[in-house]
Amino acid sequence: MWTRKASFTFAGGISLILIGMMISNHQMMILGLSFVAFIVANSWISGHGDVEVQRTLSADNLYKGDDLYVELLVTNRSGRRTQTLEVYDNVPHEMKLRSGLNQMKMNLGPGESARIRYVLRCPLRGHFSIGPVSLRYRNTFNLSVEEMFVDHHSDMIVFPQLRDVEEAFIRSRTPKMYTGATTLRTPGPGTEFYSLREYVPGDPFKNINWKAFARTGDLMINEKCRDAVTDLYIILDSRDIARIGTVLKNPLEMGTVAAASLASFFLQRRDSVSLIIYDEKLSYLPPDTGDKQHFKILSSLAGVAPQGAMPLQAVTNSLAARFSRGSPIFIISSCEGDGTVPAAIRDLVGRGHEVTVLSPSSIDFERLVSRIPRMSYEVLKIERQNRMTSLAGFGSQVIDWMPDMDLSQALLQVRGY
Amino acid sequence: MAVDGNSKLKRIGLQFAFWGVLAVLFGTLMINFVNFGQPNQLSAYDNDWDDLSAFRQDINDMGIETKSLVSSPLLLEELEDPRNVTFVIAGVERDTISLPQFSGESVVTFASEDGYSPSEVDAIVDFVVKGGTVIVFEDYGYANTIAEKFGVKFKRAQLYDTVYVHELDYNYIWTCMQLAPCGMNGTVIDPTTIESHSRWNITDPLAGRHICAVWADLMALNGTTVTEEEAGLCAQHHQDGLIRYNASYQMLLNNITSIDIDETNKHSSMITQGIRSVSSSEATIDMNGDGEIWIGSGLNADTPDLWGQFNTSIEVCVSATCSPFESGGRVHFVADGSTLINAIYDYEGFNRGDYGPVTKEMPANDNRKWALDVIAESLMAIDPVTGMPLGEASPTAMVIFDESRHVQSNVATDTYNMLYFVLVYFTGEGLAKLLLFIALFVLFEGVLLKKKDPDPWRHVFSIIYYGFGDANRYSYYAKNNKIKQVFLSKVRNQNGLTREEFDSMPARELQAMIADPVLVKFVFENRTFTLEQTVAIVKRVKVWGRV
Repeated sequence: MWTRKASFTFAGGISLILIGMMISNHQMMILGLSFVAFIVANSWISGHGDVEVQRTLSADNLYKGDDLYVELLVTNRSGRRTQTLEVYDNVPHEMKLRSGLNQMKMNLGPGESARIRYVLRCPLRGHFSIGPVSLRYRNTFNLSVEEMFVDHHSDMIVFPQLRDVEEAFIRSRTPKMYTGATTLRTPGPGTEFYSLREYVPGDPFKNINWKAFARTGDLMINEKCRDAVTDLYIILDSRDIARIGTVLKNPLEMGTVAAASLASFFLQRRDSVSLIIYDEKLSYLPPDTGDKQHFKILSSLAGVAPQGAMPLQAVTNSLAARFSRGSPIFIISSCEGDGTVPAAIRDLVGRGHEVTVLSPSSIDFERLVSRIPRMSYEVLKIERQNRMTSLAGFGSQVIDWMPDMDLSQALLQVRGY
Repeated sequence: MAVDGNSKLKRIGLQFAFWGVLAVLFGTLMINFVNFGQPNQLSAYDNDWDDLSAFRQDINDMGIETKSLVSSPLLLEELEDPRNVTFVIAGVERDTISLPQFSGESVVTFASEDGYSPSEVDAIVDFVVKGGTVIVFEDYGYANTIAEKFGVKFKRAQLYDTVYVHELDYNYIWTCMQLAPCGMNGTVIDPTTIESHSRWNITDPLAGRHICAVWADLMALNGTTVTEEEAGLCAQHHQDGLIRYNASYQMLLNNITSIDIDETNKHSSMITQGIRSVSSSEATIDMNGDGEIWIGSGLNADTPDLWGQFNTSIEVCVSATCSPFESGGRVHFVADGSTLINAIYDYEGFNRGDYGPVTKEMPANDNRKWALDVIAESLMAIDPVTGMPLGEASPTAMVIFDESRHVQSNVATDTYNMLYFVLVYFTGEGLAKLLLFIALFVLFEGVLLKKKDPDPWRHVFSIIYYGFGDANRYSYYAKNNKIKQVFLSKVRNQNGLTREEFDSMPARELQAMIADPVLVKFVFENRTFTLEQTVAIVKRVKVWGRV
């Protein structure tokens, strides 16, 4: 593709030739021909983008706010010079360039390489991809420019930040129902032997007790004791209304941080943690323990986006049968725009669950971005307090979480209203 | 997948249709302008029997530059010294390309009738007015646009005459450059009927006498002799060391037509129209081209053809005398496009087989002498001091052959000619110049506006994203009824009452429960509160119930 300079030169050359012909001015025609010849001669000398690109990341998964170190190795695999080659590594706009540059102009000889190093800060959680690598090569006089890209991508996940909540639970006035890992005398996933039972189709072969089979002739299965003490359910509100506030401070962002931190805390204590996200649909991650579950939860939370308006009661009604009896449930929701919240909590409490409502104060998030009249703000706050009070009245622990409040601080403020 | 397949087929079909239509359009264009079957002829730059290479060679041998004009006669406007240029049109075999142009009255026209566009005809007329000489050899082609401007018109139908070459066939007609027709004696021209050129043979040098005759007179007066080389442009009359000018011309023509005088569209600068040769009085013209001659007392469907004496050559001049010593040029019209073809012009070479196998010999003729005399009159240098002819060609003498209206058998040649024509059109025609200027202006504007260099790459960190909530509800939350409702909900919650219990509670009991006279009044009195009062009430509601 011609540059503007080339287009002007060419148009000027043609104009000079034609006007020279009109007024029979040979000098003008020769000048015009020179312009055109210059363009033609230059078209024979062009660069190329035949390069090999290799990107190295310091980590594939990182937490929100962490730094990512990127190194891009560009190698000219052609037998001629690249001429002026611009290399640009396409970085998601949600990432901030902390140091270095994600682009470079280079003129590589055959087989030569160049490295581009830069550091990105990832202030937003999510699933991101760095790439492709855009190439733009020009000829010597900047008369032609061609663009292409190398389809080289590096995927990564930015998890929500994890907050330390241990102190909050130690100092909390809430009953210590989360007692940590103890062996339950019930069968389930675990490590300690519980009993033998007959083989049922579908049982994994690795659990077959071969000695018992040799002895009795029947296939017998080793059953293990269940390790976890608690199935903890975290219900995260990801409805569209959860986006109120700034991109870094809104009920959903704080909710993902809270959900990740709580899950991490309880998984470290070898509890089973389940994550339920509701927005326009319901996403349910069954309770499980271990690092794999931790990764699953963090990955789910990384991809959460505000959308839809599913009521909480629809969630609790559809999942009530799956909730382990008496298990604690964390509901992380601003409780705004959903009239079914009190009924849903009443039902859960009625079934014997220990319900904790962690409610980011949406009106205060809204205040960060909208100028709410003072009086309206006060009335809205009173209405919200009424809502919190009524939820507490149904037997749940209610935490009114203000935007400038740390998670552990908020958890310490658990009160019955 | 089926949808994808269909759209792919549609795209292929669309592309096929597009290229098909383009090919048809291109083919139509090429068929209009390229005659694949017909070989090129009458070209001064080809060496076939029906080309004009011998004539061009003779001119070159006289030291005169020759050029071909393949695009458009518009280029004649660019000549610096038209007085010393002869423009030769031998056969206008095809029409011009119709492009918009200003006509003489500055009205835009889109089509030209025959042969040449109005601008091209104007260029030729200007050339003649400035002193240039034009020779038009034409029979059935498209030269009438030029001819009409000079007050003549080609009949474009074949003329048959009794004065023809019997050894060949009736298509080869004898005509003599004289006012009376020459006649036959048996199968040869009767020498007693041969006279002299009506202008070139007069005695007054300033009244149109041929320049070679004037020069010969001067030489005779001075008593000097000249060699054939020194005879210069009059070498065709060189004899025994002298220039012996002979003004009789026995011309051999082939497949001729006739030329009428028609002053309807004549340009005002053209003064003289002199008939230089005629057919015999027994000539006929096959007007309907059916190969038969039907003649009657009048022209009608049964007798459409003509009979009588017809003009075969006319000379039109800007000056009254047609003298080369006066300003203004002249145009020679000859009713045969092949007057100067190698076979006739260089009959000796043709009979020797220089231009291919010979089946019948070409008779001797004076075509060469006449053509060279025209060139001599047109291009001979004149002493600026004495005003006398110098015998040799002017240093700036030039003969231009019009090749722009010859059919080319070669596609590349024809395409080149056509492109060149378009180029000349846009740099020579007034309207096209205007259009070209506008186009160049638009081009520059287009480049300026549309041609952008690719933006420099830079990483933009952008996470500006807000959820604004619903601002419309703010005013609703400032209304007394809403404040009252929120307050009552607070009272109900703080006292652990259900809605039903709260709704069934007596008013006095509720008043006691509120225990604040201001808020009691706010709840129970339906009156309007000022903004300050409402603010105060909200403050009280906020602190109500705190221990």
